[in-house]
Amino acid sequence: MRILKSFAVLPVFIVLGATAHQLASATQARQGRGQTRAGAGNQPTYFVEHPDHIQPGLPRTMRFAALTNPYEGNAQRIAEGAKLFIAYNCMDCHGADGSGAMGPSLQDNRWHFGGTAGDIFQSIAEGRPEGMPSWGGRIADDQIWRLVAYVGTLSKGHAVTTENFTGKTVARTGH
Amino acid sequence: MRLGTARVAVVALLAVLVACQGGSASASDTAFVKGALIGTAPPNNNAGEWLYPGRDYANSRYSTLAQITPDNAKNLKVSWTFSTGVLRGHEGQPLVVDKTMYIITPYPNVAYALDLTKPGFPLKWKYRPENAQAAVGIACCDVVNRGASFADGKLVYNLLDGHTVAVDAATGTEMWKTKMGDVNRGETITMAPIVVKGKVIVGSSGGEMGVRGWIAALDLTTGKQLWRSYNVGPDSDMKVGPRFKPFYPQDRGANLGISSWPGDSWKVGGAVVWGWLSYDPELNLIYHGTSNPGPWNGNQRPGDNKWSAAIIARDADTGEMIWAFQPTPHDIWDYDAVNENILVNLPMGGAMRKVLVHFDRNGFAYTMDRATGEVLLAKPFVPMNWSSGVDLATGRPTVNVDKATAQGKNVKDICPSLEGGKNQQPAAFSPKTGLFYVPTNNLCMDFEGREVTYIAGTPYIGGNAPEKGGPGGYKGEFIAWDAVKGRKIWGIQEPFPVWSGALATAGNVVFYGTLDGWLKAVDARNGAVLYQFKVGSGIVGAPMTYTGPDGKQYVAVYAGIGGDMGLLIAGDVAANLPYDVRERGTTLPDLARYTSWGGMLFVFSL
Repeated sequence: MRILKSFAVLPVFIVLGATAHQLASATQARQGRGQTRAGAGNQPTYFVEHPDHIQPGLPRTMRFAALTNPYEGNAQRIAEGAKLFIAYNCMDCHGADGSGAMGPSLQDNRWHFGGTAGDIFQSIAEGRPEGMPSWGGRIADDQIWRLVAYVGTLSKGHAVTTENFTGKTVARTGH
Repeated sequence: MRLGTARVAVVALLAVLVACQGGSASASDTAFVKGALIGTAPPNNNAGEWLYPGRDYANSRYSTLAQITPDNAKNLKVSWTFSTGVLRGHEGQPLVVDKTMYIITPYPNVAYALDLTKPGFPLKWKYRPENAQAAVGIACCDVVNRGASFADGKLVYNLLDGHTVAVDAATGTEMWKTKMGDVNRGETITMAPIVVKGKVIVGSSGGEMGVRGWIAALDLTTGKQLWRSYNVGPDSDMKVGPRFKPFYPQDRGANLGISSWPGDSWKVGGAVVWGWLSYDPELNLIYHGTSNPGPWNGNQRPGDNKWSAAIIARDADTGEMIWAFQPTPHDIWDYDAVNENILVNLPMGGAMRKVLVHFDRNGFAYTMDRATGEVLLAKPFVPMNWSSGVDLATGRPTVNVDKATAQGKNVKDICPSLEGGKNQQPAAFSPKTGLFYVPTNNLCMDFEGREVTYIAGTPYIGGNAPEKGGPGGYKGEFIAWDAVKGRKIWGIQEPFPVWSGALATAGNVVFYGTLDGWLKAVDARNGAVLYQFKVGSGIVGAPMTYTGPDGKQYVAVYAGIGGDMGLLIAGDVAANLPYDVRERGTTLPDLARYTSWGGMLFVFSL
């Protein structure tokens, strides 16, 4: 897994007009995450889990999958997440509005590493083996939750099961 | 499978129309360039073999094999096939040496050696390198590999995760493996190395990741790095010294690799070497292009940004820069200059000149003196509107200010698009016709610049550039080009960009493939389509030809869509937005109807 060598968190905060309040809320979110982990009980639904994350002989850790997003459906936080998505160069990898580019589409309802809020949080925080950087510890947890809230909106209502090429209009919503 | 009849008629009609225009090229023999030569004869290269990516150091992609002719090409058929076991974009070409075919796959960059002497072509060996998976998400434009070089009994190629490897061609044993690029900084390697006098010449990808571009030489025997030259930064790093003599005055001076950038921005300035390399043994010069400057947003880097988007000549022994030239100074359209430089001798103004011919992303075809870097001729080879022409007194393009991109401004309908009039798809040259055979794109774009922060290992782009078809109702064209006069002789329009390389042969048959999966054999003299076959996936590799142990001429090509233009098909990409950086759904909305992922070698013969 990649470790980013240098990081420009500060300029991004300036871009976003981040305040001490936001930094404080980041701390709160980090504490909150720990509490949620401790109280985990429900079983998440995984689409795919990478073999690197499966440890033979040990129970799978569900700590991330069980997390819930404090900003779920919060329009203001989602809008802030959209700005972060550009500011942290997520857009240049995953495409405008997450339509896919170097990195996979976030619009097609196909999740390589799980699509629950906790799964997406884990993908951002810990990175993934095919080049997704690990942002945990580099950006505040509450920023990650804003990104999770935004990313969650991108695939809403998108179905990619069928591509029908026989009509006059090319119906394409996915690969 | 002859669907091409109508298209042949169209091509013939076009040829007539072109011929009827006063002063333009005709399809008759008089259009051919007499006396044109490949710069230097291929080294240690038997006629029936293919040892280097472009077949020879000149990058001609020309073979003297002549069994397949315009008269018998209609009898071509698929002879055999081989699955590489890998999907994704199959750029590059197989090699054939000593009755063995060598194939390099896209990531994870498996190498196969196929025994051509035995029925069914069983493997001699298979080499599966360790290759960090993280590289997959760092590669800008699919996980392609453009092939290997063969020298001194070794197969030498690059891994996506930034390593160069040498494999014993007889046994498949890894002889050495050297880390050249840093994935953590966004460096991957997709280019095909060449071997010059016992040195393996290598560059990297990562122009979209804020990488600082370099080219390096490794010892073929040990894998030890012998020299590394950067393309931006201080003169000492770029190996700019007393021998550096660029042709144009504005390109001379100390430390231009710093002074043509604001502040320290050169440190993340791109100028990587991901394209094809050439070498002139007489001048002992290596020729390479450099990529776009980083980021795309030009407002963050006022200045010429030397030596990004440049053609550079270097001493093969030392890496010293001898001359450099920027087709697109201060590139604000992502017009890399990485496209191949083809080394030929041409009659220019009545005298034979040692030239290089370069079909730039920016849409101009350059015929240059390869000893001095002087631009002898620069003419558009595709529809374009960003520039009205190249001033031969300075070598600089005259920019149409209406098409200059800027931060916060959405400039519409710039042609060509950031994919360029041509991209990685290598052209070929035939000394028999004196013409270049060039796969081209006909795309335009809108471009909106945006401020971007450098974060190591993430893209450093700062721009949205949705693409669309160019004027004329076609999106690609395979053309024959006269580099002496700077004119198109004939062209075959295609519904999609022509992302495959070209192959020219002494039989006067030229080969190329299409994004929707047709392998085509055409008459080198007039572009008449002689044969076509629909392979299993879109073609983004380059056809090559060889003589089998049975004495027959074969033509081999990969079917496996991908690379930048096939990313929509090859990658995990949704396609319903009109404004994506890498959007293909709106650029090529129909492509998925005609092809899907693949990874197959197709071999043709009479």
